[in-house]
Amino acid sequence: MDWFEVISENFMVAGGRPHETLARLQDSYAVVPHGVSLAVGSVEPLDEEHLRQLRALCDRIDPPWVSDHLCWGRAPGVHLHDLLPLPYTREAIDHVVERVKRVQGTLERPFALENVSTYMAYRDSTMQEWEFVAEIAERADCGLLLDCNNAYVSARNHDGDAARHIDAMPADRVVQIHLAGHTDKGAYLLDTHADHVCEDVWDLYRRSLARCGPVSTLVEWDDAIPSWDVLAAEAQRARAERAAVLAQVIP
Amino acid sequence: MSALAAQQRTLAALLRRGSSIADDAEASALATGNARLTGAAQVEIYREQFFLRHVDALREDFGAVAHLIGAEAFEALARAYLATHPPRTFSLRDLGAELPAFIGEPRARDLARVEWAFVEAFDAPSLPALDASDLATVTEAEWPALRLALQPCVRLLSIAYPAHDYRASVRRSEAPPPPAPRASFVAIYRGPDSLHGLDLTPAAYALLAQLAAGTPLGEACELASCVSPADFAVDLAGWFRQWTTLGLFSLNAPRQASRTSSGGS
Repeated sequence: MDWFEVISENFMVAGGRPHETLARLQDSYAVVPHGVSLAVGSVEPLDEEHLRQLRALCDRIDPPWVSDHLCWGRAPGVHLHDLLPLPYTREAIDHVVERVKRVQGTLERPFALENVSTYMAYRDSTMQEWEFVAEIAERADCGLLLDCNNAYVSARNHDGDAARHIDAMPADRVVQIHLAGHTDKGAYLLDTHADHVCEDVWDLYRRSLARCGPVSTLVEWDDAIPSWDVLAAEAQRARAERAAVLAQVIP
Repeated sequence: MSALAAQQRTLAALLRRGSSIADDAEASALATGNARLTGAAQVEIYREQFFLRHVDALREDFGAVAHLIGAEAFEALARAYLATHPPRTFSLRDLGAELPAFIGEPRARDLARVEWAFVEAFDAPSLPALDASDLATVTEAEWPALRLALQPCVRLLSIAYPAHDYRASVRRSEAPPPPAPRASFVAIYRGPDSLHGLDLTPAAYALLAQLAAGTPLGEACELASCVSPADFAVDLAGWFRQWTTLGLFSLNAPRQASRTSSGGS
């Protein structure tokens, strides 16, 4: 393994075993915190305590970047703990851009937004997801974590075209790529991180690398976790695919 | 209210509904649907996930309670709890904080208290541990006024059922019978490699509880000895040896107490 990603919130605690584990991991590997609860698209005010603790985590482990999702998840009196999609509207863009700027101002280090798997399409949306994501990244001046599996799941769920999503991403803003498996629920695909990366997503990965160049890649497999050998083999395939594509696109 | 705010309020309420919204008009008004799913059915996916995620999180932290009352009853308990105690913080770790108090049945409540104590012990901070050599610097005259602080991870529980034993058995994948009533006292703490529960006598529990409350050692011993005078006299030295060996006390308290003591307070 070259590096690890940790769920930020699992380590934003007072101490104890999470801090000890993280310290041991840092002894040998680069570690990047990846959040699931910042809710950057929520209308509720940003959670200042969350930001304070995230800043403290970053100060402790000094990651090259930190990421969270382009979604919402908080509402008055409740944290839904989900990566809920935003409507692709100008209002949502303006809202998220302002919030991402504030997050970056607090963290004072590179911040990347990840595209999420979506299961609903808003009637209010006035543009494609890739237009929404790209404009936010440009106006907020932030990085992108391109999740190839999420792009695939969302495209399948909404009869869209994941390749167009990949092609529309501002390549110079992509700092990381996610790969993962999903579960076919019949009427829709569910992003479960519980299986191998499917061949269609490997295709999207190669396409992404050809556009974005040598960005870091992480395989997410955090449910129905297989043996270490199986997990390591999946990471090894990502490494091999990456090397093969980069050998072609980088003279 | 902006359109975005209105949407999020509506969705947040829909996703917390206790029953399906697959035919709900508000949900249908939000989402387009497709050839396979109506708009409301698309929103229903998120509602299902809300309950799956949060019930699973509670089951993970309260696995022995789930074992005791059964999967179906636990699901009902978790859903009733979520209805009145919605998740409010950014971490699922905090979700079950109020569940022990929410449970009315005494046996399951005691078990939930034990399980939550383990959750708290897991990520409480560590302070440098006090050992026997640290105590060697305390003079005999200073002992009665000495204040000993427990490590932040230590949780002391006085319960009416031996819930700690039951939890340990469940975690060993055994099928223990429901615990019968028996007054039990336990210290839950984090060791170097894992979490532990230490059974205590009533007097030992009373002493640790007094020390945890900041009572000076002399007064704490007097109060605890009233619980079981005979046991207390015999066991006191052994308790301290065990507790310091296990690292239950933090380092800085006795020196602070010594300073306080010499300051005349």
